Amino acid sequence: MNGGDHAIAFMRRLREGLESDLDLPDAVLRGAATLPRDARETAERLIGRLAGEYEEDEWGFDEEFADLVEPLFAFLYDTWWRVGVEGAELVPAHGRALLTANHAGILPWDATMIGMALLREHPLPRHPRFLVLNWAFDLPWISTAIRRLGGVAASPYNAMRLLEEDKLVAVFPEGVKGTAKPYAERYRLQRFGRGGFVEIALRTGAPIVPVAVVGSEEIYPKLADVPPLARMIGAPFFPVTPTFPWLGPLGAVPLPSRWRIEFLEPIETASHGPDAAADRALVLELSERVRAAVQEALLRNLVRRGSAFV
Amino acid sequence: MLITGVGSHVGTLLAARLEEDREVEHIVGIDTRLPARTLSRTEWIDADVRDPELAELVPRAEPDTVVHNQIVRQPGPSMSARAMHDINVIGSLQLLAACERAPSIQTIVVRGSAGIYGSEPHAPQFFGEEMTRLFPLRTRFQRDVAEIETYFETYARRHPGVCCTMLRYQPAIGPSLDTQVTRYLSQPVCPTFLGFDPRIQLVHEDDALEALVAAVRNPVPGPVNVAGEGTIGLARMIRLAGRAALPLVSPLFGPLSTAGRRLGLTRLSDDFSRLLRYGRGVDTGRLAQEVGFHARHSTVAAVQAWAA
Repeated sequence: MNGGDHAIAFMRRLREGLESDLDLPDAVLRGAATLPRDARETAERLIGRLAGEYEEDEWGFDEEFADLVEPLFAFLYDTWWRVGVEGAELVPAHGRALLTANHAGILPWDATMIGMALLREHPLPRHPRFLVLNWAFDLPWISTAIRRLGGVAASPYNAMRLLEEDKLVAVFPEGVKGTAKPYAERYRLQRFGRGGFVEIALRTGAPIVPVAVVGSEEIYPKLADVPPLARMIGAPFFPVTPTFPWLGPLGAVPLPSRWRIEFLEPIETASHGPDAAADRALVLELSERVRAAVQEALLRNLVRRGSAFV
Repeated sequence: MLITGVGSHVGTLLAARLEEDREVEHIVGIDTRLPARTLSRTEWIDADVRDPELAELVPRAEPDTVVHNQIVRQPGPSMSARAMHDINVIGSLQLLAACERAPSIQTIVVRGSAGIYGSEPHAPQFFGEEMTRLFPLRTRFQRDVAEIETYFETYARRHPGVCCTMLRYQPAIGPSLDTQVTRYLSQPVCPTFLGFDPRIQLVHEDDALEALVAAVRNPVPGPVNVAGEGTIGLARMIRLAGRAALPLVSPLFGPLSTAGRRLGLTRLSDDFSRLLRYGRGVDTGRLAQEVGFHARHSTVAAVQAWAA
């Protein structure tokens, strides 16, 4: 049977089910029996979710949800952004580690693509947890989706606790300065805050893995900022891109740039001991070392990638 | 042993549990409500915590332990927000004033609220006991709880010999409880914020009682979070309870839930509304390690037990 036949068979069974007074979920399940196995499993899982039969961990991460939306990310990864990956095997396969990447693109697409890169290229993949700019958690749908995919608010308490639980955590120390920079300044790394991510790594003894993401800085080319509008909606900035706000919600569709993600050699921190977190000089030195490594890798990969869009 | 709010569900059960303990010589229960079931060894005194008479009653009872269980968490159908504020703040103040005159006191255990942390979009996923000052106090109840905690902190500082335990409870759920959560989940439809699915953390009614008993037996100074393990997404909680969610856009949530009250839906306090939007989780490490209490029901299990 091809796809069209499946759909017709499914609709027929669904209608029969409804006509014989089954509830909608039961009728859908019955109809699903005609579908190929993959589609049937997806349908069953969706029905199960409607009854609350799904698991979230205490952080709100929902692995099943992540699996359900994976096809969307796979499409973005393979077709839309054509992501090329290098060095995924350098990421520790178990235990705590802090991925530290450059940040751009308003919505945390870069975090999801780092996750996809690990799922695809790493020999023992795991879902990274990522720290997301605070204001995203005040947005409907986006806040929920981010939480279910493993995102948490960018609070040092969250980062510490995740690392203490031996999770893989992704941070973007540029923060809002990274996402808010205009198109003309793309791939010029902003200041890495006050090095808070280094303090957290030192305190928990987690290795820092610098990550360079090329491509994310072209998906929403920010041409201008409208501060009064930003203040009105409580956002840190209000971007004007070639498509936003002109196309409304469609303006949130990212441009299909070509991406490269490179994971770099981990920087070990455990040997300094947790008390080293109070050593400002060491913190700033490590922070600068990470920043320099990411910046250098960005430039290298920009050259390798060639043209941004084709 | 002196218990305020002994007429409440948890208060009565606590008295009954302590009666079984031979080391507890005498139990005095203060409440204007009669205990929900007959207690054998507990002396019930019909008094209000707001009553200045407390200054006589407490020293006369010569308690070594005072359990303050008279903190109202939600305005009910029979209680205005004003009365709730009075009971919570003025009641605590009167009780502490009375405690000043009772040198026999060694331990004070307060059944307080994790509402002090509030519900914030950028909050840490798990509030530790030291994180009360991360965000401004936004609601009346939150300010009340903060005020109560300040009173008890001041008292503890003035009386270094008294061990003052402030238990910060997450909302409780259970078949015999009538709380904001159980009322919310008992409605035909549960209003939610469109596009928000916050993490909720609850404590099962049995664990709420047992944690109180554990803290009376093994008090530790300062605040201690009380909650079941883990959290649950609001959407999943409503589905497990077999209810339907009614998503409302945020600007209309307040007006529509007020209108819903006329249609017989339960009234949602400001705190609870914020909880439905942003949720809250707390860290229970101190309860486990220092008080030595582990909740038997996780948050998910507590919801399942309630729905069953």
